[in-house]
Amino acid sequence: MPAEIFSGFENVVFAVPESHAALSAAKGVGMLQCEKAEAAGYSMDICSYARIDLGTAMSGGRDSPTFGLPRPHLLVSNNNNCSLLAKWFDVYHREWGVPHFVIDVPFCYEGQKDRDREYIVAQYRDLIRTVEHLSGQTFDLDRVREALLTTREATRHYKRFIDCAASRPSGITAFDSFVQMAPLLTSRGRPGIDRHFELLAEETEERMRSGLFPVPRERYRLFWDSIAPWHQLRKMSTRLAGLDANIIAASYTSCVGSHEGSYEFLQSFDGGDPLEALARAQNFSVCPYGLNLRVNAMTRAARHYGIDGFVFASNRSCKVYSIMQMDCMRTVSQNPGMPAVMIDVDHADVRKYSEEGAFTRIEALLERIDAVRRRAG
Amino acid sequence: MIVLADAINRIHDRGSRAVGCFPLYPPVELVHSFGMVPLVLWDMKEAAPSLDESDRHLQAFACSVARRLAEFILSKDGARLDGILMYNACDTLRNMPEILQSGLSEKGRRLPILRMHVPMIPADRTDARDYLAARVVELVCGMEEAFGVRFSAGKFRESVRVYNEMRGLARRLESLAAEGRMSYREFSRIIRTGHFSPVEDQVSELSAAVKQAEASPADPNKRRIIVTGILSPPDDLIDAIEGAGMRVAGNDIASQARSYGHETAETGDPAEFYTGAYRIRRACTTLLYTADRRIGELCALVGERDARGVLFVGEKFCEYEYMELPYLRKILDGKKIAHMEIEIAAGDQGGAASLRTRVEAFAELLDQ
Repeated sequence: MPAEIFSGFENVVFAVPESHAALSAAKGVGMLQCEKAEAAGYSMDICSYARIDLGTAMSGGRDSPTFGLPRPHLLVSNNNNCSLLAKWFDVYHREWGVPHFVIDVPFCYEGQKDRDREYIVAQYRDLIRTVEHLSGQTFDLDRVREALLTTREATRHYKRFIDCAASRPSGITAFDSFVQMAPLLTSRGRPGIDRHFELLAEETEERMRSGLFPVPRERYRLFWDSIAPWHQLRKMSTRLAGLDANIIAASYTSCVGSHEGSYEFLQSFDGGDPLEALARAQNFSVCPYGLNLRVNAMTRAARHYGIDGFVFASNRSCKVYSIMQMDCMRTVSQNPGMPAVMIDVDHADVRKYSEEGAFTRIEALLERIDAVRRRAG
Repeated sequence: MIVLADAINRIHDRGSRAVGCFPLYPPVELVHSFGMVPLVLWDMKEAAPSLDESDRHLQAFACSVARRLAEFILSKDGARLDGILMYNACDTLRNMPEILQSGLSEKGRRLPILRMHVPMIPADRTDARDYLAARVVELVCGMEEAFGVRFSAGKFRESVRVYNEMRGLARRLESLAAEGRMSYREFSRIIRTGHFSPVEDQVSELSAAVKQAEASPADPNKRRIIVTGILSPPDDLIDAIEGAGMRVAGNDIASQARSYGHETAETGDPAEFYTGAYRIRRACTTLLYTADRRIGELCALVGERDARGVLFVGEKFCEYEYMELPYLRKILDGKKIAHMEIEIAAGDQGGAASLRTRVEAFAELLDQ
C-alpha cells in the first residue's frame, strides 16, 4: 500500500488489518478470531489474516491485543499482493456502508513496464481526489515527498539491519526481521521511523562487534520463502537454534525496499516525482511478480548470504505466495544447486501447522546439507 | 463424454489452429478473428481426469480449475494445442503461465503463451478504459507476431457477430430449460461441449437444441431454483436436483450465464469492443469492479424466474466465491429465499448418495 500518499493530507491516518492479524496470531489469539469468522460462515479455506480480521471486527475487537481497529471512513485495498484483500474489504464496504477504493496493479512477469506505472499513478491521483473529497482536506505533494525521504532513510537502515545476516555467524535471525515488518508497514513515512531503524541497525551491529549472535554455534544457514509463521516465532527459532540452524533471511522481509525480482535496496527516492516513485515500488513484495523474477532474487540472495539450504513454507492461507513454490524449489535447488525442503504452514492459523511434521522435514534438510558438505570434502 | 484431444484433432483437420484459453472470460472473439479456434479450458473433469502432471507443479490447495488446466496443458493431449492465452482472471491463474512454461520446458515443449491484463477497477476511473484499450492493441500485435497472421477489422466484426449469435442462443436455451422444455443436464452438456468447439459448431448445436426444446411441452409443476458458482454443477448433482422434483430455472454460473449473459455491439475495433464488454458484462465474483452489483443481479434473477431457492455450488479453494458467501446468505435470508451450499473439489470420489440426501432435504425446505 502506498501509505506515504496519506501523509500528503493534514490529518488522515490509516490502519493495516493484515498487520493487526499478524499481531493477533503472534499473540496467540489467531485461532480464536478465525473461529469467530468461521462461525459466521467464512470458510476455513479462506486466508487466515482475513478470518482473524473478520472475527475481530464481528466481535467488536474482543480478544484482540489492540481491541481491534477503528472503523474507517474509507477502505483502500490493492490487488498486487492478492485480490482476496479487495474481497475482504468488500465485506466491510457492504456491512458498514463505507466506500472502498481498489488499486489495480498489473502483475510483473518481467520488470515493471512504463505503461503499467502510468496506469498506477493515474489511480493514485483518483485516490487522492477521493480522500480530498471525503476529508475536505487539500493534498500536498511536498508532504509526500518528505514522507518518502523518511521512508527511504528508514528502509536504508532496515537494509543495514537485514544485511547483518551476511556475517558468519549471522547477526540476526529472519524471525528478528519478521517482527520489524510491523513498524515498516504501519509507520511508513511517519516521523521517527527512520530513527527507529537506525537505532535497530546500530544496536545489531554493536552486538555483533561484541560477539553476540543469536545462534553462536551456527552450522546451517537457511533461507525462508513465505510469510512469517506468526504463531511459531519463538518456538521455531528456539528449536532451530537447538539444531545449530538459523533461518537467517526470508523472501518476505528481504524484498522490502526493492523492486520486483531483486532484494537489493532500490527504492532510493531522489526527490523526484513521489507518485512515480511509489508506483515504481508497487510490485516489490514477492507476490506481485513471477517465477523467473523470484528465482533470480532468491539465487542472488543465496550467494550474498552464503545460504546452505532453502525452506519453502507452502502456505494454505496464501495461495499467491505458494502456488509457484514447487517450480521455484526445483529451480533453485538445481541452480545454484543446494538442498531445499517444503513444509506445510499457515501463517496465522495454528490449526493448519504440525510442528513435528515440519521439523521432520527440516531435520532431513540439515542431513542433506551435511551430505553435500561431505561430498565436497 | 468430451474428448478434448479429438476436438483439437478435428480443428487441425479443418486446417485451423487451436488456442487454449485460460478461464474465465478470455477474448475469444479476437482469437476467432485470426482464423483460430479458442478453447476455454475449464469444466474439464472429463478432459483431465487424473492430476498426476498437475501435482508436480501445484499444491492440492489450488482449485480444480487450475489443477485440471495444468494437467491438460502438460499432458500428451495438451501437446496438440497451438498456443495459450491468459488474462489475470484470479490470483491462482495469474501465477500459472510461468509454471506451465517450466513444465513444458521439462518436456522439451514450447508453446506461445500470450498474456493480457484486464483492469479490475470501474470503467469510469481515470485511465481504466485507455489502459485496457492499450492492452488489447498489445495483444493483437502479440498474436500477429506469435502466429504469423494479420488482424482484420472485417473478420473481427464477423467474429463478434457469430459470438453474439451463440450467446443469444445460449440465453434462449437457458430460458427454455427454465420452462422445463429440456433438462438442465442436457443444457449443461451443450454449454460444456461448446467450450471445446468452434463457435460455428456451437451455433449449430444450440440452434438445433432450441428448435427441439421449442417443440417440447413446458412443465410448470416443479420447484424452481437458481444455481450459482464457478463451474456447472456435476451431472450427479443435476440428477439429484431433477430427481428431487426441482428444476434449475436459471444460473449464475461463471462457465454458463456469466459467460454468455451479455451482448456487446458489433464493431471491427477490438479495443472499442472489449472496453465496452468490460463495462457491461455480467457480474462475477472474480471481476472485482462488478462486486457492487453481483448479489443484486443474482437476486433479480431469482425474482425474474420466480425461483424459490438458490443452490451455491462452491468451487473448493475459490476465495472469490467463498468470501461473498456469508453476505449472499444474509441477503437471501432477508428475502426469505431458501439456500443451500454444496462444495465441489477436484478429488471428489462419487458420494452421489449423500449428495442426493442433501438435495432432497433442500427440496423439502422449498416447500416450507
